[in-house]
Amino acid sequence: MNKRIILLAVLLTGTLMMKAQDKYFTRNGTITFYSKAPLENIEAQNKSVTCVLDTKTGNLQFALMMKGFEFEKALMQEHFNENYIESHKYPKSDFKGQIVNNDAIDYSKDGDYTAKVKGKLTIHGETRDVETLGKISVKGGKVIAAADFIIALEDYKVEIPKLVKDNISKTVKIAVGCSLDVLKS
Amino acid sequence: MKRKRIKRIIFFSAAIILVTVGLYAFSEYNRKVKDLSKVKADMEISAADILAEYEKDEAASNQLYLDKVIAVKGTVKSLEKNDKGHYSVVLGNENSMASVRCSMDSIHQRKAEDLVTGSVVTVKGACTGFNSNDLLGSDLILNRCVIQN
Repeated sequence: MNKRIILLAVLLTGTLMMKAQDKYFTRNGTITFYSKAPLENIEAQNKSVTCVLDTKTGNLQFALMMKGFEFEKALMQEHFNENYIESHKYPKSDFKGQIVNNDAIDYSKDGDYTAKVKGKLTIHGETRDVETLGKISVKGGKVIAAADFIIALEDYKVEIPKLVKDNISKTVKIAVGCSLDVLKS
Repeated sequence: MKRKRIKRIIFFSAAIILVTVGLYAFSEYNRKVKDLSKVKADMEISAADILAEYEKDEAASNQLYLDKVIAVKGTVKSLEKNDKGHYSVVLGNENSMASVRCSMDSIHQRKAEDLVTGSVVTVKGACTGFNSNDLLGSDLILNRCVIQN
């Protein structure tokens, strides 16, 4: 009788612990974007990206504040916020999606895995489907999520002023780097 | 004779204007984002107060605070260093899911490294917005932060 209770308790705590370790998160991930153009290259980084990954379902979410992008030059930062992305109107950007091949990733074992990610990206108030390959690295209890992908400004209705149209790239490369910790609940 | 003089005056004034415009454009083009340690805060408020305002009405609070340089006084809940060595100071009540998250200016983050959890500090930063998440709680994000005292 006693043995059974102990066994039950062990099993219960086991499942509880497993449940608690399903979700990984960060609040200070980074997303950088690059735009290469004849006139000049533009680069900006956001260091307060939130990301939540549910390792059980493969659900993946990112969110950031548009005003959080830091540029080297003040003028670029102002133009980005005021003329291009209109961050006063659309302060947030997010991605909600899934790791499609989540079953192929063993979160309990250290290693690098290729993740096929699919979902909806919202920028400038416009939502579009995106699909990309990323990398999931499991290392010492942490999960590092990284991906690069390219978006077209036109898709998100970001208008480039006519005057500079030929000097600014119509696509932007986005690089995601998030080191996720276990969410203790 | 007179004509020549007028021509010369026009030429020199045009040159001066061109150079001034050029210099202005050049300095404007190279202008760096302001170092907030040299900027006076637009307003001062406690972490608890600004969080309460944001939780009550985000849109109205954005009208008030977004893009402003604000000095927020609060208790250090945690000090976080991400994988790239970048520091964030988290202010707020330990038992609350809401915090003010101060992303430190890389030039000034040294001062943040010595902060102790539980101490009271005033951090000055550019208000970047309110990010709420069902699971993680909500964060008011300040960017390019410097420790005021």
